[in-house]
Formats: sequence, C-alpha cells, structure tokens
Amino acid sequence: MSELLERRAIRLAEKAADRDEAIRRCGETLVEVGAVEPGYVDTMLARERSISTYVGEGVAIPHGTLGGKELVKRDALAVLRFPEGVDWGGEPVTLCVGIAAAGDGHVELLAALAEILLDEDQARELREATDPGTVIRLLGKIQEDSE
Amino acid sequence: MATMNGKDIRKLVVACDAGMGSSVMLASTLRKQLGKTGVTVEHTPVNSIPADADVVVCHSGLAARARSVAPDKPIVPFQIFLGDPAVNKVVKAIQQGTDFNV
Repeated sequence: MSELLERRAIRLAEKAADRDEAIRRCGETLVEVGAVEPGYVDTMLARERSISTYVGEGVAIPHGTLGGKELVKRDALAVLRFPEGVDWGGEPVTLCVGIAAAGDGHVELLAALAEILLDEDQARELREATDPGTVIRLLGKIQEDSE
Repeated sequence: MATMNGKDIRKLVVACDAGMGSSVMLASTLRKQLGKTGVTVEHTPVNSIPADADVVVCHSGLAARARSVAPDKPIVPFQIFLGDPAVNKVVKAIQQGTDFNV
C-alpha cells in the first residue's frame, strides 16, 4: 500500500472554496507525487462535470476520464481532507480520495474504502481523521481482513 | 420495461466512463454481496461492455450511452454509488432467484 498511498499524499487540513478547487488540490497532489501528468487535472474536472464522484458519507473520489488514463504514470491515491467542508453539488464533502489509475493496482484499496463507507462508525472515523496514520490504518486493516 | 429472473444472471457488469473509480467500488461491493451465488461481477468502460453480460448496471448519466453500445442488454441505471435501491433490488433478485423489472 505504501507506494499506492504515500504518506505525503495524505493531507488532512486542506481548504477549498468550491468543488473545482478541491478537485484541483487532489489533482495537484497526484502531480506532486509523480503519479500523473499535469493535464490529468483537467480530465478530473471534466469527469466531475459529467457525473459526480460523490459516493456517500461525505466522501468523493475524484478521478479522470477514460481519455485521461494516458496521462497516468502510475496507480496512486491521494487523500485530502477539507475540515470546513466543500459543497459537492448539494452534498457536503469533507474527504476526497483522488484516484490515478491506469491498471487495477488500486482496486483493493477502493474495496476497503467501500467497506468503510458502509459502516457508519468507520466512515466517521475516516472523515474525522487528523493523523495520516489513522487513514493508513483504516484503509490497510480492512485489506488484510478481506484476504 | 421487461421482467428478468435473478436465476438467469451469470454475469453482472458495472459499466462506467473510465473504470477507475466509483464503478470499481461498486463492483467490489457487489462481488462481496454476490460471492456465494456464483455470479461473476466485472467492471468495464461503458464502450466495451462484454457480449456475455446478462445485466448491466451503470450510473443514470451513462444509461443512454450504455443502451447505444449494448441495445440488447438489460440496463439498470442507478443514482447513488453505494446503497442505491435499484441496485439493491437486482442483488436481492439474484440472491433469492426472484423476478425484477428492468
């Protein structure tokens, strides 16, 4: 998991005025960790405009379009928390999991995320996490359980 | 509107635009829910829905594209990525071998 979700890609005290800015912050984080080309960020915005990536429990998983895949250098995730919340087309979002994926390397981690979001207590713990270790523990623990 | 029986489903496909985000999450959840039934769950981009899919689940915003790519397949559109009532209905029909409308 360490390569897929690096500690430096977990940023838990972010601020964004609106959804687009939040998505840009996620995209820029993926650029900074060397997972995508800068052009990928625009495909993330395009995807969000066609269909929202809001998945419930105050969590969105912004990612690029099919065309954006060629701008992905390696599978990686970024976890950004916006403690003040971001209006996501009417839904309040506090946690974004930005995704860069050309292959299936991230599938298990997303499966773990789905499990967490289906459990109210764990979803709250993830949403309220202020320590990157908590995020890694939550997303990592369930992976082990499911194996 | 047609009626389908859950017993006739052997492969369920979650179709999406890029196949890297929400459809992956939904597919993994469905795989877990349907694990005991022997039904195969795949996630694919909407423009490459496999020919052997028995039912296609996709976000309502993609339903028109899914229908044009796979006009002969039953399409179940949903709005919510986790816990959508339309998807839950299909899961229940597969688990119990009952009818559902598409």
